[in-house]
Amino acid sequence: METHLMWSWPIYWYLFLAGIGAGATTISAAVLWRGPGGNFGPRYFDVAKLGALIGPLPVIIGTGFLIFELGRPFRAFNIMVSNLWYAPLNPSPMNFGGWMLLPYGVFGILYAAAFLPWARWFPGGFGASAERLAAGARKPLSMIMAPLSIATAVYTAVLLGAIPSRPLWNSPVIAALFTVSAFSTGIAAIMLAQRLTWKPNGDAQAERHFQNSGQVLTAADMILIATELFVIVLFFMYSQLTVGDVRYAVEVLLPGGELGGLFWWGLVGVGLLLPFFVELYFILRTTRGGRAFHVPYAIEILVPVAIMIGGFILRYVIVVGGQLTGPVGL
Amino acid sequence: MTTLPTGERQAVGKQPHDPSTEQPSGRREFLRTVGGGAVAAAAAAVGVSAGLPGARADVRVETDAEYGMLIDLRRCIGCQACSVACKAEADVPMTVARSWVEYTEKGHYPNVSRTFLPRLCNHCSAPHCVRACPTGATYKRPQDGIVVIDQGICIGCLYCAQACPYSVRFLNPVTRFADKCDLCIHRVSNGVVPSCVNTCQGRARIFGDVNDPESEISQALARNPVNVLRRGMGTEPNVYYIGLDFTDEQTKRPGEYVRVTTHQGNRTRRG
Repeated sequence: METHLMWSWPIYWYLFLAGIGAGATTISAAVLWRGPGGNFGPRYFDVAKLGALIGPLPVIIGTGFLIFELGRPFRAFNIMVSNLWYAPLNPSPMNFGGWMLLPYGVFGILYAAAFLPWARWFPGGFGASAERLAAGARKPLSMIMAPLSIATAVYTAVLLGAIPSRPLWNSPVIAALFTVSAFSTGIAAIMLAQRLTWKPNGDAQAERHFQNSGQVLTAADMILIATELFVIVLFFMYSQLTVGDVRYAVEVLLPGGELGGLFWWGLVGVGLLLPFFVELYFILRTTRGGRAFHVPYAIEILVPVAIMIGGFILRYVIVVGGQLTGPVGL
Repeated sequence: MTTLPTGERQAVGKQPHDPSTEQPSGRREFLRTVGGGAVAAAAAAVGVSAGLPGARADVRVETDAEYGMLIDLRRCIGCQACSVACKAEADVPMTVARSWVEYTEKGHYPNVSRTFLPRLCNHCSAPHCVRACPTGATYKRPQDGIVVIDQGICIGCLYCAQACPYSVRFLNPVTRFADKCDLCIHRVSNGVVPSCVNTCQGRARIFGDVNDPESEISQALARNPVNVLRRGMGTEPNVYYIGLDFTDEQTKRPGEYVRVTTHQGNRTRRG
């Protein structure tokens, strides 16, 4: 089935990785803005730090995949120049994407660098001044990163959506779907990183703050998953309430279609419904049951992994399904 | 694909389709004078695609001549001579094709038919591939309307191949550039018809300038019931067919037998 795909694994891996990175930096910038007064309490800085450190790496790796996918990888920068030297933007979304990924990479690395422990790495005067510089740069950098991250999250779908000859992609709903999924997988990455980096030191108050930030992330993620499910419903409603190309194209995702099993069992089942109900159970146990928020270690690992698997399957079925379908008839 | 140096590009005046708003070539001439070819081409591209209220979504490219082809399917015998001639002329690698002939079988015995559909790049007047290209490597030549790919710029991202509603574009496995039919640009710019036209056994193909009312193709277009492929995509193709049957596997009637063989590698009409 995949032998004749013009865009294969580098593309859907890029869409997935860029979604995680853009989602993580969006959350990080938002949390850093809100500051210690927000729901995260004193742990806001750790959450922002995790998001900032996670962010740029997947986006840069994914962009590397994109370049690898090209017929002529060494000419990749051609997409950022048009035949007009003083106006390098041209109507192609790919050109726009290049001009957005470059500043995302540059500012993303700077933003991540602003959270690194410079003073610990360089005990001398350099470390101290680097730390001061980083502390001052964090807020301004987060203000740049928030719009850049959202644009990166949206762009992945705009690239696909701009092509009328691919009816499955040519839908504004795809942009909403990918954006919500980017934020959801970004939060999942932060949740996973927070769990893996947490070292209990017997301090009961720190432990309570840690559990609290886990609860806020879980609740936010649950709402995003619910939104994503709603957008999927919209996507199918939109395709069923029309005639022609889109209606035929979406058959590939419906039960019985070539990617139907993967879409419904993999994405909706494992990637969305399962984490949603697990998260709902633990949230309700705290808010309604009045018990302290506490999630077993294995579940706290498996839920973000399931969300990320769902995010990957979403990119996979859309990229592959779009290429299996086209305009109907002649 | 002929490699064209960037400097050879000239102004591609992009204007809305509505003839009443069509301006004489004043702006084109001005831009040509000011900046030389490449500059004007991109200026027009950027300027127009920013959006004219009420204009069509697809941007029509006006050209001096508009080379096109009329294929009389009643005369086509499906011999694939055009496919072979194209392979030889353009040195197209195995597994990909610039030109091919699709077979459509339909009906139940004894009421059956097999029809043939020769395919090539439509050299559209409003090409989706040109709008999709992030580098400006593919463009419609202003002098003859041929949609070409500048191999000095193309990066092989295949966004154009995704954007083409006719699946005529592919990644050339040898050169690693996007590739497709170029209407035998090396032949037609020297006044010779394309290789597929030259070789056609049934004389099914007429090549010429559809902008010139005196040309053989324009007269044949005016005298015959003609149609184009996927008109609804808004591409305004310049390859016309006489006797086109739109029968397809996706849109057949219940119980009807239809089998389409594209002869285009393992690509289907949808992919």
